[in-house]
Amino acid sequence: MRIDAFHLPGVDEAGIREWELREYGGGEVVLRFPVLEPDEIRRLAGRIRAARAIHLAELPVGAIVRAIDRVAALLQQRDHPARVLAETALPVITGYSPPMVRLILDRMTADWREPALLELLRRELGDPGVLDGFRVVEGDEWGGGTPGGAVGGVDVGAGIDAGPAGGPGAVVLATSPTAPPPQPVRVRAYGPELAFHIFAGNIPGVAVTSLVRSLLVKSATLGKTASGDPLLPALFAQILADVAPGIGECLAVCYWPGTATALQQAALREVELAVVYGGGETVQAVRGMLPAGVRLVEHGPRFSLAAVAREELAGDAAYRAAAGVARAVAVFDQQGCVSPHVVYVEKGGEVTPAEFAELVARELEVVERELPRGRLSIEEASAIQQLRGAAEFRALAGRDVRLFTSAGTEYTVIYDDEPGFTPSCLNRVLRVTPVADLAEIPPHLAPLRAYLQTVGLAARGERRAALADLLGRAGVSRITTLEAMPWPPPTWHHDGQEPMRELVRWVDWEG
Amino acid sequence: MLDSQGRALAAELVRIFERGVGEPLDDVAFNNLALRIFAYQCDRNAAYGAYARLRGRTPEAISHWREIPAVPTAAFKELPLVSGDPDRVDAVFRTSGTTRGGERRGEHYIPDLTLYHASLLPNFAAYLLPDGAELPMLSLLPSDRELPDSSLAHMIAVVSDRLGAPGSRSYASVDAGIDEAGLEAALRRHEAEGTPVCLLGTSFAFVHWTDSLRARGVSFRLPPGSRLMDTGGYKGRSREVAADELRATYVELLGIPEPFLVNEYGMAEMCSQFYDTVLREHTRKGAAGPRVKAAPPWVRTVVVDPETLEPVPPGEVGILRHYDLANLGSVLAVQTEDLGREVEGGFVLLGRAAGAPPRGCSIATDLLLEAVSGGER
Repeated sequence: MRIDAFHLPGVDEAGIREWELREYGGGEVVLRFPVLEPDEIRRLAGRIRAARAIHLAELPVGAIVRAIDRVAALLQQRDHPARVLAETALPVITGYSPPMVRLILDRMTADWREPALLELLRRELGDPGVLDGFRVVEGDEWGGGTPGGAVGGVDVGAGIDAGPAGGPGAVVLATSPTAPPPQPVRVRAYGPELAFHIFAGNIPGVAVTSLVRSLLVKSATLGKTASGDPLLPALFAQILADVAPGIGECLAVCYWPGTATALQQAALREVELAVVYGGGETVQAVRGMLPAGVRLVEHGPRFSLAAVAREELAGDAAYRAAAGVARAVAVFDQQGCVSPHVVYVEKGGEVTPAEFAELVARELEVVERELPRGRLSIEEASAIQQLRGAAEFRALAGRDVRLFTSAGTEYTVIYDDEPGFTPSCLNRVLRVTPVADLAEIPPHLAPLRAYLQTVGLAARGERRAALADLLGRAGVSRITTLEAMPWPPPTWHHDGQEPMRELVRWVDWEG
Repeated sequence: MLDSQGRALAAELVRIFERGVGEPLDDVAFNNLALRIFAYQCDRNAAYGAYARLRGRTPEAISHWREIPAVPTAAFKELPLVSGDPDRVDAVFRTSGTTRGGERRGEHYIPDLTLYHASLLPNFAAYLLPDGAELPMLSLLPSDRELPDSSLAHMIAVVSDRLGAPGSRSYASVDAGIDEAGLEAALRRHEAEGTPVCLLGTSFAFVHWTDSLRARGVSFRLPPGSRLMDTGGYKGRSREVAADELRATYVELLGIPEPFLVNEYGMAEMCSQFYDTVLREHTRKGAAGPRVKAAPPWVRTVVVDPETLEPVPPGEVGILRHYDLANLGSVLAVQTEDLGREVEGGFVLLGRAAGAPPRGCSIATDLLLEAVSGGER
């Protein structure tokens, strides 16, 4: 199966001198990309920036939302050719099992539907109309605001659905007849004219979410895909160009190797904002070549963990917690930044930490039937075997280490009483670390403070509140239930940041 | 040290090693020795004996060396894997700890270095000195006095002492790195006198030095018969260079021809080593042939599937498992993370999986591992 995995408006295929073919699954899927030159990147950037002025800059955000919603709706149709293509090719490209790819597509596309996008805009911007025109500041929403605070008449729905943007966004202030009329302050949010997004390949869909956010703030967007998944972002762009040709002119998606420094630099020189996802080295490299004046939003490597309180280690709650942990480990085959590496289990419950480890292993066995673990490289499988062997010998050397595994490398649960936080080699390898009290976790995390992300926490009431505070202080950016770990809401403060607000530039109109 | 039964086995092995690498050890003979050594190790090493029992592969239960349970290299980080008393050994070699900063280092306890030397010397001579040359051994690695943990430093010290000509020495120190001035002065002397040399070191050290030579515009035409042994990966170091690119650099900057460039593959967890066959083939047959790694007759290598740990069909890529009779004092069956493929006359090493970063946005980079370990190496 040969697929063109790019979307390059204005690039004439006949003029392309050289093509790169990337084979996946021993040639089962072949992705085709043009080999780009720095000059072509510059011209492409110029073209999509110019197209933005015509097609996107003045388009109401509501119209952008509806266009993206239509693409998402098509990708949700099981029989749509693009969906069929994604379901067929992504397992080969990414190594994820077909059921995992289906699950990821279902969950991710839901985030690109209209209700989710409107919720995201409202949560981040208050009044999404600030993307279409100046809006009066409401209360302390933006940290400033008008004295007296009360502002009326900002209709979010109207902001979204009303006609041409940039129209009179003026809103009548409620004024008091006795006080001098307060000066209304209006604000508007402008996205960058052109943004460059550099994607990581570990989870299909994350790149598309990034493109979606960029388009919502009306930025022409150049997306560089990763070899791990160059397909889905390109598919999305191709469908968007069908559904909304004007917006399609403002978006370019292609793959080139991250080591092609000249191309990265050429792109960075053209943009106002760069967004980078990836490992520490990728992020550092981009930071190193950033021209002055270009803003950078980083999504570097992150670690997540789970924690189970002793009150949850009895009866059905214990089974639910084990199932929640198992699923959080299984989804994305543990390759997500939201995937737990370690679960800290409190001693003193009805179910001991070691018994809990066994429960999680049993649940992983169950999950395997529904969501089989994907295909591993030799290195990945070998790393699991080494880890298991080392754990066995730790036990034989007299330490309290217990190993619960599948017959193959599908899952591995290692109970080890040694304190600390040992990053997993991934692909469903979980460490269970007993603690006398969950409040002991923060010191374990101290060395990783800058890299922490999600904690799946099984605890209730005041304990939950106290632990949330402790963990927040320790550096984590998201505390959630075990079940919700893999699926942050579209509005989440990804890595403690602000997904929409970090993209825009605010303009205050003070009068 | 080994006990009396161990010493008897060692003596038997030394006699076989002394016959050299040209004398084949047939599978019956290898099997007989391997099973006796395995039984000895199960008996003297409680953890390994228990490991074998857990697998149902006790000395009583098996009849072929391929059934001997292999110990993953990662286990050498967890406990002393030694037949006898770990406090009474001749040496402890440690893994470099450079591929994954801060991780625990693997430890290989060597109760009896004479067996190590008995394996090392004929094997090195066969693949580095097949023409019987006696050459000054110039090393880019600090000496074994500075690096008592390093099996490579020990190996270089022993071959320099036993097989090298006068002038053999190390041109590096832990504090000052490679003594480029000293090394280059020595090479100029040999160049002028027309006397060949043998250069030894890690690939990483050679990359570093040849980068420096290139930057300074310095090169050599080392006299015919000169040769070079490099070894090991340099993952996570400043710069990775493909093996063929590095060889082209040796040819260009040192004037050593391809067949005289021999890559060694060894590990702290093994007493025997593997070498490219090129120089031996070139000397014996006049043509170097393909670059293949060969084992001495007292080592067998099986390529296994990492998923099942069963042998892969011949020619397919898998991970290497070595059975090294010279590992009498530790464990003879070692499961590595090294990728390879069986070929005629040996195997091709395709890379060392150790330290390969996992995919994903939760990649455990060196940076993170350093954070975990507080930056200690």
